[in-house]
Amino acid sequence: MNKLSISLLSLVLAASSLSAQTFKVKAGGTQTFNFEDKGGRNQVTFFSTTPLEDITGTANGISGSVTFDVAEFARTIKGKLTIQIASMNTGIELRNKHMQSPNWLDAARFPEISFEIKSVYDVKQSADNKLEFKVKGDFTLHGITKEVIASADATYLDESEQTKKRAPGDLIGVRANFTINLSDYGVDNAVIGNKVSEKIQVGVNVVGSNKK
Amino acid sequence: MNPSQKKILAASLTIILISLTVWVYSGREIFTKNQILVEKKDELFPDMVQKVWVDKFIWGLDLTGAIILTTVVAGIFFYRRLRDKKK
Repeated sequence: MNKLSISLLSLVLAASSLSAQTFKVKAGGTQTFNFEDKGGRNQVTFFSTTPLEDITGTANGISGSVTFDVAEFARTIKGKLTIQIASMNTGIELRNKHMQSPNWLDAARFPEISFEIKSVYDVKQSADNKLEFKVKGDFTLHGITKEVIASADATYLDESEQTKKRAPGDLIGVRANFTINLSDYGVDNAVIGNKVSEKIQVGVNVVGSNKK
Repeated sequence: MNPSQKKILAASLTIILISLTVWVYSGREIFTKNQILVEKKDELFPDMVQKVWVDKFIWGLDLTGAIILTTVVAGIFFYRRLRDKKK
């Protein structure tokens, strides 16, 4: 009987510790954060390394939103982020044109890259307003959708005089990193003489506001 | 080799050496760039680093190669043109 009580108590404690993995902030209820950023500070970066050259690119044409219940972040989160391929920059105009050409990302046919959240797990609380977690989602590139898992963190800032300088409302800052294989998305890196790696590291740095 | 040809040879070698030196001191990049990425910290979210493009000319191997090729072609052209004519 004693063992059963201890097991039950452990379960209750485990459950309460799991539910504790959420933001401890002033805000409550369901919140929707919009990532449209007219200042162009929201950014997705992509990195390729080959013996010939390392290439870092950026994209600032980002839109989308996430919605979650502050009390149950992992269970309730859903959202989607979209990136305009036309906003991608590698620092060389000619290379940007190649990247958007039909031989490569084919921006005319597939003008957007997107990531849609399916689930969030392994949530760890690193501060009252900060969570680290894994996010599983559908990544769509070149018209092909594959599931990817990203390591991510989110920082929640209640509205303050400081945050108002950036945008009205509460803010959420999200960082995420994952790697994709270009061949999985029908993009042949051999087309441009392997100057671009098969594996591309993708980084996301976005801040969203819950007020328009 | 007459004195004019020597001058052409010296000028060509100087141009090639200068372009190689500039390339080495510019960071030995493969491709010429007009912009570079610099990292900027976010004041509100200190963990976040934003990458910002800044206008800066970086001399690449492609430009060095083009200069060397042009110099060699022009050098050969003038070298041959300034040959002593046989009497």
